[in-house]
Amino acid sequence: MSIAHAIQSIGFLTDFRESALVYPVVMSTHLTCIAVFGGMILMTDLRLLGVAMTDRSISEVVSKFRLWKRVGFCIMVTAGLLLASSEAEKYSPNPFFWAKLTFLALIGIHALIFRPLVYNNTAELDKSPAIPSRAKLAGALSLFLWFGVLTFGRLIGYYEGPGSPGNQGAKSAAAIALPASHRASVERYAVR
Amino acid sequence: MFLELVYDPTTNPLNNNEWSFPLLEIIHIAAFTLSIGTIAIVDFGLLGWGKRDAAKLLKETSTLTLLGLVIMLISGPLIFSSDPNMYLRNSSFRFKMVALLVAIIYNYTIHRKVVLSGATPGVNKAVGIFSLALWVSVVFGGLFIAFV
Repeated sequence: MSIAHAIQSIGFLTDFRESALVYPVVMSTHLTCIAVFGGMILMTDLRLLGVAMTDRSISEVVSKFRLWKRVGFCIMVTAGLLLASSEAEKYSPNPFFWAKLTFLALIGIHALIFRPLVYNNTAELDKSPAIPSRAKLAGALSLFLWFGVLTFGRLIGYYEGPGSPGNQGAKSAAAIALPASHRASVERYAVR
Repeated sequence: MFLELVYDPTTNPLNNNEWSFPLLEIIHIAAFTLSIGTIAIVDFGLLGWGKRDAAKLLKETSTLTLLGLVIMLISGPLIFSSDPNMYLRNSSFRFKMVALLVAIIYNYTIHRKVVLSGATPGVNKAVGIFSLALWVSVVFGGLFIAFV
C-alpha cells in the first residue's frame, strides 16, 4: 500500500489524477486505441484463422498492420501507465486490474512463442497449401487474450474494495433512487 | 427543456442484478472495436498504405463493420434504458448521439463513395481523416458521459 501511495504521490501524477479534463482525455485515448487499432489485431487473427482477407497472403496482412499496431500499442500503454500509476492505491488491491495485467503478460508470452513460429515466419506459412495449425492457434489465442484484456479492463471500474470511496461524489450519479448495483454502474468511470 | 420520460428505471431488469450492466458494456466495447476498428483500417488505407487498396479493404471488412454496428446499436440502447433521463440530460451523451448519427450516415454515403470510386490523394486523405475524427469523437463522447 505504501509503495502504491508513493507512486501516486509523485507530483505530476497527483496533478494528473486531480485534473478534471486531462484524466478523462487520457482515459478516452486509452479506449480509442482499442477501437482504432483493435481492428488490426482482429483482422490479423482472422486472417491467421483463414476467416477474413483470404485474398491476401498472410505475409501481406501481417506486414501491413504491424507498424500501426505497434504505434497503437505504444499510445495505449502510455495512457494505461498514466491511468494506473496515478491511481496506484486504488488499483493495487483490485483483482480485475491484476487479471488484466496477467492477460497482458500472457500476450507477451504469446509473442515470445509465436513470433518466431508464425509472425516472423509468414513466407513459410504462405507456402503451405492449408493454413498450418500453429498459425490458427496463434490467431485464436490472440483473440481470446485480447478479449480478456478488454473484459478485465472494463471490470476494473466495478470493484469496490476497502480503498474505494463507494458511491460518494461522482458527478454522474442519477438523481433518482437506484439500486446500489446500478449506481455503481452509472459511476463506472468516475474512479476518483 | 429536456424530454423527461415517465419511466421508473428501478423496474428495469438491468438494474436488478450486478452483472448485466457490465456485461452489456463489455459487449458494447467489443462491438465498437469491431465496427470502428474495421472502418479505421479502411481509413488508414485512404491515408495511403503502400498500395492504394482502400476499396479492397472496404470489401474485406464491410460485413464485420456492419455486424459490429448492429451489436453496438442493440447493446447501446439497452445501456441507455437503464437510466434514460440521466442520459438525456447529459451533454456528452447528446454530443455522442449527434456524432454517431453523422458518422454512420457519412460512412455509408460520402466515405463509401470515395473509397469505392477513388479520388485525388488529397481528397482521399481528407475523407479518411474526417472519418477517423468522427469515430474518435463518438468514443470520447461516450466516455465523457461519466465526467460531465
